[in-house]
Amino acid sequence: MSDCGCDKARQSLEEYLRNEVCKTEHSDIREHLETCPACQEEAVISRTLTDVVARACKETVPEELRDQVLARLREAQSAAHA
Amino acid sequence: MIATIDPVIAAWDADVDWPLMEEQAVTDPSAQFEEQALPFMDQLYAAAMRMTRNPADAADLVQETFVKAFASWSSFTQGTNLKAWLYRILTNTYINTYRKKQREPYQGTIDDLEDWQLGGAESTTASSSRSAEAEAIDRMPASAVKDALQSIPEDFRLAVYFADVEGFAYQEIADIMKTPIGTVMSRLHRGRRLLRDLLADYANERGIAMPPTRSKK
Repeated sequence: MSDCGCDKARQSLEEYLRNEVCKTEHSDIREHLETCPACQEEAVISRTLTDVVARACKETVPEELRDQVLARLREAQSAAHA
Repeated sequence: MIATIDPVIAAWDADVDWPLMEEQAVTDPSAQFEEQALPFMDQLYAAAMRMTRNPADAADLVQETFVKAFASWSSFTQGTNLKAWLYRILTNTYINTYRKKQREPYQGTIDDLEDWQLGGAESTTASSSRSAEAEAIDRMPASAVKDALQSIPEDFRLAVYFADVEGFAYQEIADIMKTPIGTVMSRLHRGRRLLRDLLADYANERGIAMPPTRSKK
């Protein structure tokens, strides 16, 4: 497995998926992924992990907090103008 | 129209961006701040929740962040990345104020620990079961994902949060966390590895079809 490009692809897979690798490396990894089902599946897991974390962390500010923030800002504004 | 009246005025006029000046003169900084920064409140609150782990502290942290951001609004350069700027303030405020209250055993030395000390080693999944793993992760309830995230070391958690939830680039995360890019990458890799293992454990405990990840020792 070690000389078919898997090792290199796995090592930089996350960087590849986040577009954090240089062009040459990017095309190397892309080429490898096209022909390697195992690495494709790793890429799917990696993307899924990102999606799931992003989905789980969604929050909406409680109305009360929104009002508090606005009140604090108004306070700071009037202090600045005084 | 002015340009046709007097060439001198026209030339002078061209150097000055009148609409921009007008906008700057007319726009009240407070109104500008509210218009631009307040839309990030949900996102900042979500990050604050993952940092402080409880709604009361998260609410305080968000308030502090907005008050501080407003106080230094004049130092923000229009046209640069406002989200990253706000996250820097949020993270600084968190580290300086709230982190002190919530000491974790590994704090400060977490980056120096070896993977085996963290309990999450590089693991491999049999190729036949990778698609099952992706599927199991995809079906993971949000509460389980948040619990898993909550239980990994803080610096890893923040790196994962900034990258996966906010989509910040490595350089932006490095700026926010004030660490070299290599440290960001390492925190991200290790954090995600721990997360993946924890989710696998969760699935296995509940009998959700998911292959155990096998650690290379």
